Amino acid sequence: MKKGFIILIVLLSFKLSAQQLISGIVLNNNSEPIVGANVFLEGTYDGSSTDENGKFTFKTSETGTQTLIVSYISFETFSMIGDVTYMKDLTVKLREDVNTLDAVVLSAGTFQAGDNSKASVLKPLDVVTTASALGDFVGALQTLPGTTTVAEDGRLFVRGGEAEETQIFIDGIRVFTPYTPTTNNSPTRGRYSPFLFDGITFSTGGYSAEYGQALSSVLLLNTIDEPDQEKTDIGVMALGATLGNTQKWKTSSLSMNVSYINLAPYIAAFPDRNDWIKPYETASGEAVFRKKFNSGLLKLYTAFDITNFELTQEDINQTEGVHFKLKNNNLYFNGSYQGKLNDTWDVFGGMSFTHANNDLNISDMLINDTENAIHAKVTFKKRFSNRFKLNFGSEYFSSNFNEDYSDSSINDIVYDYNNNISAAFTEADIFLSKNVAFKSGLRLEYSELFNQFTLSPRLSLAYKTSKSSQLSLAYGDFYQNPSSNILKFNQNLKAQNTAHYILNYQFNANRKIFRAEAYFKDYKNLIKYDTDFAEFNSNFNNDGYGFAKGVDLFWRDSKTIKNIDYWVSYSFLDTKRDYLNYPSKKQPNFANTHNLSFVGKYWINDLRSQVGFSYAFATGRTYTNPNVTGFLNEKTKAYNNLSINWAYLISPQKILYASVNNVLGFKNINGYQYANVANGNGIFESRALKPAADQFFFVGFFWTISEDKKSNQLDNL
Amino acid sequence: MQKLIIILVVLATSLLSAQSNYEKGMQKAFELWGSNNPIEAANMFERIANAEPDNWLPNYYAAQINIVNSFGLSDEKQLTAQLSKAQDLINDATAISKNNPEILVLQALLYTSWVAYDGATYGMTMSPKVVAIYTQAEQIDPQNPRVVYCKAEWGIGGAKYFGQDTKPFCKELERALELFANFKPETPFHPNWGEDRTKMLLESCK
Repeated sequence: MKKGFIILIVLLSFKLSAQQLISGIVLNNNSEPIVGANVFLEGTYDGSSTDENGKFTFKTSETGTQTLIVSYISFETFSMIGDVTYMKDLTVKLREDVNTLDAVVLSAGTFQAGDNSKASVLKPLDVVTTASALGDFVGALQTLPGTTTVAEDGRLFVRGGEAEETQIFIDGIRVFTPYTPTTNNSPTRGRYSPFLFDGITFSTGGYSAEYGQALSSVLLLNTIDEPDQEKTDIGVMALGATLGNTQKWKTSSLSMNVSYINLAPYIAAFPDRNDWIKPYETASGEAVFRKKFNSGLLKLYTAFDITNFELTQEDINQTEGVHFKLKNNNLYFNGSYQGKLNDTWDVFGGMSFTHANNDLNISDMLINDTENAIHAKVTFKKRFSNRFKLNFGSEYFSSNFNEDYSDSSINDIVYDYNNNISAAFTEADIFLSKNVAFKSGLRLEYSELFNQFTLSPRLSLAYKTSKSSQLSLAYGDFYQNPSSNILKFNQNLKAQNTAHYILNYQFNANRKIFRAEAYFKDYKNLIKYDTDFAEFNSNFNNDGYGFAKGVDLFWRDSKTIKNIDYWVSYSFLDTKRDYLNYPSKKQPNFANTHNLSFVGKYWINDLRSQVGFSYAFATGRTYTNPNVTGFLNEKTKAYNNLSINWAYLISPQKILYASVNNVLGFKNINGYQYANVANGNGIFESRALKPAADQFFFVGFFWTISEDKKSNQLDNL
Repeated sequence: MQKLIIILVVLATSLLSAQSNYEKGMQKAFELWGSNNPIEAANMFERIANAEPDNWLPNYYAAQINIVNSFGLSDEKQLTAQLSKAQDLINDATAISKNNPEILVLQALLYTSWVAYDGATYGMTMSPKVVAIYTQAEQIDPQNPRVVYCKAEWGIGGAKYFGQDTKPFCKELERALELFANFKPETPFHPNWGEDRTKMLLESCK
């Protein structure tokens, strides 16, 4: 009996060791062996790693149908279902994962600022540590190629387009009034504080079908998904103060930020060219609430600000100057939900509401305009595989504009219109391999105001030419309704149109980036009118047209010299258009032919300081000299600006920051204003349009109070 | 006599097979790691993770190998690939065991690897995350020696940079050493590393 038992046990162990051998070789696309790949039967302990020849063998006691898995970093996981007896001398070819850092990127037209993004040219910190930017994200983007220098305006002018041709989106939802109002000789700033955002995508052309109503460019800002920690930020500046606070709970968080700016003390110390009655004053507040759900994220963002100022501005036609008074209220709300429906379906839904009111008093004119606007959007994303994704959705824009106008001769005229647009779009992302990818999309829009349908195709493709370089192409059709300056007088028009053609080369290795992009833009259906200014009695039509072509170059090197990071941008722009009141095709006054920007940052470890500079050069802009025949017949002298900044970490949580704009005091001229009537000698007298101040100083102290005693506001500066 | 030998051999075999696949697998993986075969060890841990969907430990160790080996890498592509692999493994481990201070320590080390690779780029964005994670881990388990020593090591790095006093962190290291002395892992396979490193760091405190 005992003997029988022993035999049984021995037999059993034999049975257990009666195993099947699984063997094969793992190769990449080029039939080279992959060393160290993990090969195993799913759900079992049986498996092995490939050897230096890519070969594997292992034994299994499993029988019947099993799943064999082969996985390796940077490759797509391979799986095979079959009977184990057939898993012998297998040849497994792994496909390269298209989501890796060295895969091709659809980069034509697009600049990204982000931590680990493949196409990233700026880091989030750059937005706030660029000397000329003064903490304004728009200011930092103006150091990138494709933008033109319109110093007195401050908005983004992209590739021969007007500022209105660039649209700004927060979390995918449109911002209708992104800039704070200013006097006509000082640049405006973006309304929103940069530290609430952690991703910025700036597209200078050829963008996705998801975005419409923008002829030239889109700027996409994403708010932070989850703040790192609870903290309080205090900032004291020569111009005002800011206070921020972040609270975190288990699945939600709230960040709030308030700021107050008053230029009065600064202007008292450094008077500028304006004759202020009530210097610029603004109070603003922002809040972001985020709530995480099991498979989604809800974000509610709201911003409110009030601005007012009053001054007398110099004018060639009025010796006593022009009285200008402004009060602006702006409220913006944005809510969005992003979630996963299941493994392959994603959904996004969001809406925004804008209320903007301007109360203007310009000499004898009283203007009160109000814009109420809504944007709602739903998109779905289906991932068929890593290599094929489909995106589709629809959106609705509704805006109401109302203006109340009075002056000494006209009493209370009301302009009022609704501009409602619905749109649907779809787009497919296809990776043929790690080296070839394309994106193709279609956008359909319907404008209720014009009763007009427009269809815009978009296409971009990218091909990897070597390990660290690639070529991309993009094409797109873009439509945009005219701005409120036109629509308030006439609504019997059509959407304006451009087509973009872009060729892009990109080299990216070892923290050095080089980009070269050539483009051509064809403008059609631009607005024209037959009076000096757009007025209620002008005759409007859509017969305007134009073009813009050019080359943009960008080089950034953060590697070669230790602790030094710099980038250089150069843009060549050739553009002419016949629109508005132009008698013929001319280079518009917001376009410079050559733009150069050079930004450098040096981190001095011993001083715990970052010093930086940025230099901008732009050739002159056109203006009309009535003493000579012709329209836009002369150009201003070139623009030069060198700005420097210094950030010093007193302790981990205290920072002292100082910057000087135009440190060399270049006397820049933005254009000329001419008298309406000639003087006794038959000459129209002129006045140079100069910035409010040639130089600008900024000093601030920033203190962060947090649990860890380590974070600071360097990334807010 | 022969019979006795057979019985002994059979007994020994059956005893050996009484050791579960899990134990055998984990032992083998640690041996591979110990004999300087980190890739094979990580593969082995991943296979075990695949077969043991309710156990966070194999994912934890596979992630740890990827993170430890990422320190000192100079190729950004490889670093990115390896750390995103480690992040996936951490996510899998976290899905099995939520609010686990040991896994939180790994997450903090993953971010630390980015800072070590390029402090100028990642320091400002990753540092607050690292500190927040250690703070969270400490709240969950204030007596965990790895939490205490890793947090102190991170603190020493920052204090040295700002020319501040490292003494309070050295005190924490001493406390960590006491905690190590009294630390009993739940099973032989639960995390039990860090004591040597703590002693080494304490040396440099003197």
